[in-house]
Amino acid sequence: MDVLSNLGLGFAVALDPLNLLYGFLGVLLGTAIGVLPGLGPVATISILLPVTFTLQPQSAIIMLAGIYYGAAYGGSTTAILVNLPGESSSVVTTLDGYQMARQGKAGLALATAALSSFMAGTIATFIIAFAAPTVAEFALDFGPADYCSLMVFGLVAAVILAHGSVIKAIGMILTGILLGTMGIDVNSSLPRFTFGVPQFGDGIDFAVIAMGIFGIGETITNLARGAEAREYVKNYRGLWPSPHDLKAIVRPALRGTGLGAALGILPGGGPVLASFSAYALEKKIAAEPDRFGRGAIEGVAAPEAANNAASQTAFIPLLTLGLPASPVMALMIGALMMHGLYAGPQLIAQKPELFWGLVASMWIGNLMLVVLNLPLVGMWAKLLTVPYRLLYPSILLICCIGVYSIRNDALDVIVASVFGLVGYVMTRLQCEPAPLLLGFILGPLIEENLRRALLISHGSPSVFFTRPISLTFLILTAIVVAILVLPVIRSGRARVFAEETN
Amino acid sequence: MRLRVSTDLVTGLLFLALGLFAIAYGWTYPLGTPARIGPGYFPLLIASGLALLGLVLVVRGLVAPGERIGAIAARPLVFVLAGTFLFGLLVERAGFILAAVLVVVLARLADRDFRPVEVAILAVVLVSFIGALFWLGLSLPLHPLPTW
Repeated sequence: MDVLSNLGLGFAVALDPLNLLYGFLGVLLGTAIGVLPGLGPVATISILLPVTFTLQPQSAIIMLAGIYYGAAYGGSTTAILVNLPGESSSVVTTLDGYQMARQGKAGLALATAALSSFMAGTIATFIIAFAAPTVAEFALDFGPADYCSLMVFGLVAAVILAHGSVIKAIGMILTGILLGTMGIDVNSSLPRFTFGVPQFGDGIDFAVIAMGIFGIGETITNLARGAEAREYVKNYRGLWPSPHDLKAIVRPALRGTGLGAALGILPGGGPVLASFSAYALEKKIAAEPDRFGRGAIEGVAAPEAANNAASQTAFIPLLTLGLPASPVMALMIGALMMHGLYAGPQLIAQKPELFWGLVASMWIGNLMLVVLNLPLVGMWAKLLTVPYRLLYPSILLICCIGVYSIRNDALDVIVASVFGLVGYVMTRLQCEPAPLLLGFILGPLIEENLRRALLISHGSPSVFFTRPISLTFLILTAIVVAILVLPVIRSGRARVFAEETN
Repeated sequence: MRLRVSTDLVTGLLFLALGLFAIAYGWTYPLGTPARIGPGYFPLLIASGLALLGLVLVVRGLVAPGERIGAIAARPLVFVLAGTFLFGLLVERAGFILAAVLVVVLARLADRDFRPVEVAILAVVLVSFIGALFWLGLSLPLHPLPTW
């Protein structure tokens, strides 16, 4: 079968000793930053973007992907042992995971999280292997107008799930698009918004913005918030679940996987929403909902399966349509671009070793994570004792050198500092920085496709409504907008997030 | 009546200012024709949208009582940014070692809990380790010492 031979190719790539090493480094680093509160995958991947430039593209993507799903794993350890989400995707795991730990079942909770994640990771790998080529084939028929509508839909859908104000989120997207227009216009070679600075001719590098906002800006935010009191459970014996426990895990984990895999594909969905929805679903169908919040094993299994499944299926729209479903995926597009590769329907056909290598590496990475997380949990718990005051100076220094290394230009470091300020101010103004990044990535693509679509249609905007694919995306966009505007659903959305933060 | 400075109001003013600035600065960029849009078309579209959203937020901030802006943490803001900013200014002339030590020391000054000995050790370890990683490991052309 075709998929099988492709998977064979993928495993050949992923099992290449060098790729295996980078995959391992990725999941190791991912687990570490997942365990550490205050350092997330977005910041880490931004910081490492310049480093991956020297690698083969498939090694770079394998490593960066490892960081991403590794972080979702590591976050659960902190959630269970310290009652702090190491990662935003493990917020719900604190509810029942920490309660289990306090009841002396920390080992069982950790094992539940690891095994559910592994199960979800395995299934999600197969979903990608079967679904992605089909979607890509379908997307080959897309014209410029279809792409334009698809990206508008992606941006609008990303807004629906941003925390806080919808207007602010749209504003951040537009700000990002505007930033993306900086530099010399490819068609007219007119310099736009370069302020006479020659270095701005190529526009601002994506990694400079990402590191400024997520590396420097987030550090300031964390420092301003002050130290959090940490009290953690030290007893985590009894790692292996009994057959009875295993039976209790399987069904919630499968439901979580299904829900997570579906939500991961949607733009703006991602692991956070997936884990929350899976928890809500389990609570709804449970025979005794009162057990939740008091150490229910389903409350750990389902959300952990869901966030892992979602973080993997998010690669489907990325690799087939070039549509990033989350800021991390936007960073992945940036990483591919640094290697001169464009994410889109042609990617699977043009670079099969990259796509299938990544898919195979995900499964191997998940296996590594179980080994890393279960027997070595003591090591990760130790990592939690490293104080933040030793960590953040290293983050800042790596940011500075990393930005400088992109093109050996000191001006980039100064620009990144300005974006650090922007990032902090945005947090104070309760604006999410993620939509800005999505806008920055998708903006130039929207402009280019808009230009092409209008060229083909001789300036008639009706092309967006007469092509069925484009029309479908515009109708979907209209539905999303309607959902945002309708007050009933809006209050529901507020409730969902209020419940999440409690 | 005292003006309530909400996050909506400030965000709105910022969006409005940025949108109007982009419209003004990009005023001379050719718009092109509908079939062949020029380099000014798309930025104007986006900047107008941004300015409009800014206006909506300003009005909402004035009419509906929104959430107030919390205090700005001046200390971490100033010290962290001073460190990264100076790194950018100094790395090429004063050399990597000096610039990197400044980042670490200024970063630690952002925290009230400043321990001189610990900071000194941290600076030495971080600068040598990270410097070696980028300089030797990734062969980044860094000047470790001042080049006046």
